[in-house]
Amino acid sequence: MSAVIGRLFKRLDSRAVEREVEEELRFHLEMLAKDHCQQDVSITEARAFALKRFGNVERIKDECIEISSRNHPLKRLFKSFLILTFLVGIFVHIFGTHFKIVRVGDVLMAVAIMGRLFLYVRGLKPSSFRSKTESLYPLMLNDTGTTAPTSLRSLS
Amino acid sequence: MANGRTDLMQGTLELLILKTLSRESMHGYGIAQRIHQSVDDLLKIEDGSLYPALYRMEERGWIASEWGVSENNRRAKFYRLTRAGRKHLEIERANWDRISQAVTKILQTA
Repeated sequence: MSAVIGRLFKRLDSRAVEREVEEELRFHLEMLAKDHCQQDVSITEARAFALKRFGNVERIKDECIEISSRNHPLKRLFKSFLILTFLVGIFVHIFGTHFKIVRVGDVLMAVAIMGRLFLYVRGLKPSSFRSKTESLYPLMLNDTGTTAPTSLRSLS
Repeated sequence: MANGRTDLMQGTLELLILKTLSRESMHGYGIAQRIHQSVDDLLKIEDGSLYPALYRMEERGWIASEWGVSENNRRAKFYRLTRAGRKHLEIERANWDRISQAVTKILQTA
């Protein structure tokens, strides 16, 4: 049970999701380069081969993060909450007998619309909401590996 | 097709992944290697395209993932087929057989 809860909250942390995706893709790229290194080619060539064979790392990373986070149970719950808030807002707005109560309905509708808009905008470009400091490109293309958290130096 | 390698049809990659995982649980790199070996590099598959497919399949409940230790003592994410995935594999395999039979029939007669 604690593992499930831990996983749930880990997935809520967008940086944790990003780190996991990066680690997974990094493993793949390093394995590709390592295997290619055994064919008597330089590290640089092996890295170039790995990148070519893998495809667009940044786009794939973005796609994985988006898929991983879009159907989070809490996100679905939040969406349901927004719909409910909107419906209650309409109800209060229509059937509110007092001016102030009608205004409460308007506020509820506005909150729901803003919330949905926020989710929509956030879903448009997930990469723009994340830092690029740990991009996989420097990891793979840097010869010395000094900027990368784990480098390909271990492959040499 | 000019270089003798064919692009994958929509949904085919998922079928290949399901089939690969039906034998044993594997990490993404292992799955890619197995697929490349099986198709003798006849199909044009970028390794990276595997991951969005894996994440989508996990989202649909066809596969499940778990972090483990790889054969070279590295932390790696392992994927395994779920019961729903096995069921889906059977359905997709039957679909594939039907489609390929139909297309072959048309190509032979037309």
